[in-house]
Amino acid sequence: MSYAYLFKYIIIGDTGVGKSCLLLQFTDKRFQPVHDLTIGVEFGARMITIDNKPIKLQIWDTAGQESFRSITRSYYRGAAGALLVYDITRRETFNHLASWLEDARQHANANMTIMLIGNKCDLAHRRAVSTEEGEQFAKEHGLIFMEASAKTAQNVEEAFIKTAATIYKKIQDGVFDVSNESYGIKVGYGGIPGPSGGRDGPSAAAGGCCS
Amino acid sequence: MRMDLMSGYKGVVGLLVGNENSSNEDRYVERLLDRISNGKLPDDRRNAIAELQGVVSESQPFQLAFGAMGFPIMLSVLKEERDDVEMVRGALETLVSALTPINHAKGSSNEVQPALMNTDLLSREADCISLLLSLLEEDDFYVRYYTLQILTALLTNSPQRLQEAILTIPRGITRLMDMLMDREVIRNEALLLLTHLTREAEEIQKIVVFEGAFEKIFSIVREEGNSDGGVVVQDCLELLNNLLRSNSSNQVLLRETVGLDSLILILKLRGSSFTFNQQKTINLLSALETIKLLLKGGSESDPGKDMNKQANKTTLVQKKVLEHLLILGVESQWVPVAIRCAAMQCIGDLIVGDSKNRDLLASKVLGEEPQVEPALNSILRILLRTSNMQEFLAADYMFKSFCEKNADGQSMLASTLIPQPYSANHAFLEEDVSMSFGSMLLQSLTLGENGDLETSCRAASVLSHILKDNLQCKERVLRIEIEAAPMQSLGAPEPLMHRMVKYLAIASSMKSQVGKSSTSENSYVQAIILKLLITWLADCPSAVNCFLDARPHLTYLLELVSNLSETVCIRGFAAVVLGECVIYNKSTDSGKDAFAIVDAISQKIGLSSYFLKFDEMQKSSIFVSVKSSLTYQSFTRSSASSMVDIEDVDENDLSEKKNLDHPILSSILDSNFVNLVKSLEADIREQIVEVFSRPKTKVAVVPAELEQRSGESDGEYIKRLKAFVEKQCSEIQDVVHRNATLAEDLAKTGSTLQPEQRVGGASDRIQIETLRRDLQEASQRLEKLKEERAKVESEAIHYRNLAGKMEADLRSLSDAYNSLEQSNLQLENEVKALKKEGHSTFPDVEAIKSEAREEAQKESEGELNDLLVCLGQEQSKVDKLSARLLELGEDVDKLLEGIGDDAGAAGGAEDEEDDE
Repeated sequence: MSYAYLFKYIIIGDTGVGKSCLLLQFTDKRFQPVHDLTIGVEFGARMITIDNKPIKLQIWDTAGQESFRSITRSYYRGAAGALLVYDITRRETFNHLASWLEDARQHANANMTIMLIGNKCDLAHRRAVSTEEGEQFAKEHGLIFMEASAKTAQNVEEAFIKTAATIYKKIQDGVFDVSNESYGIKVGYGGIPGPSGGRDGPSAAAGGCCS
Repeated sequence: MRMDLMSGYKGVVGLLVGNENSSNEDRYVERLLDRISNGKLPDDRRNAIAELQGVVSESQPFQLAFGAMGFPIMLSVLKEERDDVEMVRGALETLVSALTPINHAKGSSNEVQPALMNTDLLSREADCISLLLSLLEEDDFYVRYYTLQILTALLTNSPQRLQEAILTIPRGITRLMDMLMDREVIRNEALLLLTHLTREAEEIQKIVVFEGAFEKIFSIVREEGNSDGGVVVQDCLELLNNLLRSNSSNQVLLRETVGLDSLILILKLRGSSFTFNQQKTINLLSALETIKLLLKGGSESDPGKDMNKQANKTTLVQKKVLEHLLILGVESQWVPVAIRCAAMQCIGDLIVGDSKNRDLLASKVLGEEPQVEPALNSILRILLRTSNMQEFLAADYMFKSFCEKNADGQSMLASTLIPQPYSANHAFLEEDVSMSFGSMLLQSLTLGENGDLETSCRAASVLSHILKDNLQCKERVLRIEIEAAPMQSLGAPEPLMHRMVKYLAIASSMKSQVGKSSTSENSYVQAIILKLLITWLADCPSAVNCFLDARPHLTYLLELVSNLSETVCIRGFAAVVLGECVIYNKSTDSGKDAFAIVDAISQKIGLSSYFLKFDEMQKSSIFVSVKSSLTYQSFTRSSASSMVDIEDVDENDLSEKKNLDHPILSSILDSNFVNLVKSLEADIREQIVEVFSRPKTKVAVVPAELEQRSGESDGEYIKRLKAFVEKQCSEIQDVVHRNATLAEDLAKTGSTLQPEQRVGGASDRIQIETLRRDLQEASQRLEKLKEERAKVESEAIHYRNLAGKMEADLRSLSDAYNSLEQSNLQLENEVKALKKEGHSTFPDVEAIKSEAREEAQKESEGELNDLLVCLGQEQSKVDKLSARLLELGEDVDKLLEGIGDDAGAAGGAEDEEDDE
């Protein structure tokens, strides 16, 4: 259970773009072709290693349906990273990215790292959004970009890890005050405190000082 | 307008409280509110709000009065006067008072609860929740404190509305979570609030966990000293349980990222202080509840439920939860019985269907050298010796969980069942840790000999778990013979099973001796022993054989089935055992083969009456209510203290229901057993039909044998044929006899020949009659209810219309009033304007007057001139005419006299014309 850092992620995007499948592929290494609609929010967790340090990822997979927006928004603020997912075979899911991004910018903390994922890249023959368009959108909005497939597992691992690596680098650069948990980052027992001087124990940090 | 509404409220309030003075309270509250909203002096307003808070906190009528008009004013204070801390505090405190129930001395339940009504009213105020949440960010301690109290009150009374509202406010829950880091008073209040908020609200539970609830809860619990802590620990654990109950997502998070160490730590008994005050007991019970929730996994609908449950189990075992549970449930002598029960139930949940965990439990040894014994033995000792029924049930559940689908475990336990010589057998059951599991169990099984049927039946329950679905064990235990007590000189060793039947008989005879006033304790003794027999005989011909070895057994069972003083359940069970003697009977011995049993049933009971026992049993409340697993109520702060004192509450109300089944039965008869009985019933019916349709033939009819054999003399041939015919004749008689019985049985059910059966038929008819009457009554009642509903609905419509009309009236009145007011205002304005201009207008009037006069004068002058001209002309005419008349010799003066009169009259007419 010991980790150097714990990062909280959220996965957002239109309904049916494959958010839950991406999470399942990442945590359980399996693909479930028929997946129930996510109700509210589901949770998954996995340990990864970056720079030889164990990092725990807590991932909240949100429901894409509009009716759950008010619930899912509650998760934005406390997340360090977000995977913003669209479906390369459905143009409208790409068109909605701007509104998702706006939502995220409004409710999340400013330092949240956002990874744009064009999912279902195994279905190249039905492609409706070109890779270049995805790249272009990411560039315009300062996001990291990748095309991935929850089905073939292509780039799934990479997407989660690259996001973590970016957050890790931000910590190293002192962007975050890691003692403040509201950024979705926690220093663990096995961790080395970041340059801004966090504490050893997560609960100790959570204890008396702040309020 | 406002005044009108007020008087309306006054009427309502007066009605509700039934207090004639209420109008005074209304007026008083209204005055204060008026001072608060319209007052000019800050001090006066503050005094008013303090005074208001004072009265509202003291009496229900004031609460009502405040609720009727105060909320908008308080909320506007909160909205618009944020900088005035004192006012905000005052407003919040008043709201707290309005929402806090006041215990009335003569608090009848029918009375309106003003606090409840007020919470409802407040929760309907738009934006109230977001306003309150924003107040949590204020620096003032009291502001945050009162705000939390208001939110808690709202949650208690209208949880769903608040839960929904809070979900729609971004960061709403985050703010509440921040309160957990606040100073102690606030933190404790926030804990209560979150506990209410998370109850049965899955999405809120998840958000709360996202905000780090687990870490915060455990850190508070640690700070407070784990199970030794106060009520705050209890609150923390209640919140924790709310977050985990049927919520896989949160369970995964706890397991995968926070870990279960902190939870296990709470279960750990520290140091040498073995005092268990009530709070510590509740804390531990709450922590055990957490374990139970984790062992239960997520919600039923969750597809990954089993995986999650298994992962929880594995992790808990890795964290050595079993060791802690054993200490709490079995080893420690100081632990209160409620905790022991809960811990044992957790052990049961932990091992059921999990071979690794079962083996782990079986390998556990408790105690300190040299006084060590296997954990299972300790648990058995508890089961046999506890004076508490709940503890027996918990230990029984544990053994059931251990034996279920665990053939190896059953064999292991059965292998220790070795009869001891009587002397050793008689050794007292004290702390003899060297005693094997089997000896202990056997000894207890035979304690019925000394009249201790209770212990004997508890042991029988354990034995039935060991035998269930395990032929090997059944055969093995069948071979066990018990030495008779020395004083019974003729005591040949007797099979264990016969002993159990004997105790069954003793239990029922004791009951009939003591009569109806006796406790129904024996009813569950009988049921448990019958359950053992049913389990034992199932699928086991040698057990059936052993049972029927003693002829009286069958007779006794037949009696038991038709004994009306037994409960439905006992009779049904006895019928099942009888049936097992038919379907699992492999005996060829004519006295006790399947045919003999069926004959006995049809002769002594009658087949239809026999099958009726099954139907009755299936319909009995126990069978209907049996649940798949033991269910426990989850307990909250309010119910916790009652949970601590587990008693056999059942015993009290038992004497009332003499012929009913013992409530303990519903715990002992699990769904597996009920299903077994149901499937047996179907088999029994089928088998009995089979027996009748294919009678066993004693004589094989082989055509070749009927021929005279070569070398056989005629005499021998005839002898042989005669013997054959004799055999057939007896068989035909048998069949005729059986046929007669059947016909009789049929006749009994059809018409009503036999008195005994007639009772049955009559009772059936009576039952049908009562049912029909019930149905009729019910449908009548339904009709009546429908009518009432229709009436009520029409009334409602009527009132709604009335209300609509009233409203319309009111509206038109108010419109009218408004327009009146407006025109009045206009008039007044005019008046004012006129007054202002008052002095300057007078000269004008004069001027106008003089002008008018001048004009009138001018006009009249003109007319006068005209008239004068006319007159002049007339005069000249007169002169001319008079001169002419004079010439003609007429007396002019005389003539003129008459004209003068005429002229006078004409002049008068002229005058009148002028006036007009």
